[in-house]
Amino acid sequence: MAYVSMGEAHRRITEYLNRFCDAVSDQDSLTLCRLLSFSSNSPPLLSLADALNVFQDASSLIGKSDKFSEYGEILAHLFRSLQSYRVGNLVEAYLAFDKFANAFVQEFRNWESAWALEALYVVCYEIRILAEKADKELTSNGKSPEKLKAAGSLLMKVFGVLAGKGPKRVGALYVTCQLFKTYFKLGTVNLCRSVIRSIETARIFDFEEFPTRDKVTYMYYTGRLEVFNENFPAADTKLSYALQYCDPKKERNIRMILKYLIPVKLSIGIIPKDELLQKYNLHEYINIVQALRKGDLRLLRHALQEHEDRFLRSGVYLVLEKLELQVYQRLMKKIYIIQKLSDPARAHQLKLEVIAKALRWLEIDMDLDEVECIMTILIYKNLVKGYLAHKSKVVVLSKQDPFPKLNGKPVGS
Amino acid sequence: MAAEQKATTEEVKMDLFEDDDEFEEFEINQDWVENEEQVKEVGLQWEDDWDDDDVNDDFSHQLRKELETVSTDKK
Repeated sequence: MAYVSMGEAHRRITEYLNRFCDAVSDQDSLTLCRLLSFSSNSPPLLSLADALNVFQDASSLIGKSDKFSEYGEILAHLFRSLQSYRVGNLVEAYLAFDKFANAFVQEFRNWESAWALEALYVVCYEIRILAEKADKELTSNGKSPEKLKAAGSLLMKVFGVLAGKGPKRVGALYVTCQLFKTYFKLGTVNLCRSVIRSIETARIFDFEEFPTRDKVTYMYYTGRLEVFNENFPAADTKLSYALQYCDPKKERNIRMILKYLIPVKLSIGIIPKDELLQKYNLHEYINIVQALRKGDLRLLRHALQEHEDRFLRSGVYLVLEKLELQVYQRLMKKIYIIQKLSDPARAHQLKLEVIAKALRWLEIDMDLDEVECIMTILIYKNLVKGYLAHKSKVVVLSKQDPFPKLNGKPVGS
Repeated sequence: MAAEQKATTEEVKMDLFEDDDEFEEFEINQDWVENEEQVKEVGLQWEDDWDDDDVNDDFSHQLRKELETVSTDKK
């Protein structure tokens, strides 16, 4: 830390106090944002932090002036947090920031207009990030992490302040997205439900009026929830919305949306073009798409095995595993077309024995009873139209549209 | 022993504190205008009519060979 004289420290602190109070009285939200953005580690904030650690008794400075003492509580907690943050004491920094945030939210509630929304966003973002850092510190000291959970409660309180009627409601979706990030990290995604209900059932506010930025984030997270619920048409709608409106410059976000949207699209019979997979570096899906195109069950199995960890971690493994039935359908169609080339008159009869032979070639060892069982499932799920002639061990395909397309609907619906 | 067990449960807990796919923050003041070209481009990246009757790929050729050996087996 560079040497800071007492006089210099005094100057820096007074300057900050002036800028803070002027920003509030001028309703200058952007300046306020900069004054609160801890995680930006901006030089002015760092030099203020050094000044606070030299001066030590900033509260006396705040108390000396009416202008400052009006926001005395807010400022005192904020200073304490910044001091701890600067010396790397993150749990202390979190605790003081939490008090600051509560005081700030109280003040915000009293302001009639929504002028300070952006500043409130910064407070919400900072408390989540600070809580994550504090939890890391706690676990490395062998203590149980609990600050992110606490930050979730504060964010919920902020949500309550914004979610009512009036001009502040437009900020509710930003806080919702911060809550999603918190709950997804904590693994308590079921807690998302009540906020979602509040956002989606509100008649007083049209969803489309929220900022695009927040709508995209919201649709990404609710889309992921729909994937977990295996509600693929809803997941498709939400994730496609996120993809469509996401800032094209945010390639990492687009990639994340696609990580979930691709399995969803595949499950309703729609495949991504290769360029899309290449452009966003989604190589783990290349062989899966190939397997689906060809009817190659062996390739599907290998592709699932190869990227098993990745697919399990993102929660799409089960979705991809279910593509097997579509790959079976594709394989049956290939067999049918090949038969048609040599013997068009009898092509619509698929012998179970022939199917078993094809499966053996793909390293799937099934006896005829098992093949029959698979064919029954395909017929039942409407992936194959026809009937089983059990005695002659043949599947007789319908002459009309024997392999119905999914047309954007899930298998079996 | 008991202490050891506690340590492992905590590790597991910490492991839950991860979300590999956390969406990146957009700038607070950033609200972009969606442009129509982008919307169109996104729509063109998917195929729903890929399920053709083409059997000229390698996989189909090999499959055909396999199936033909079945018929010769029978004869």
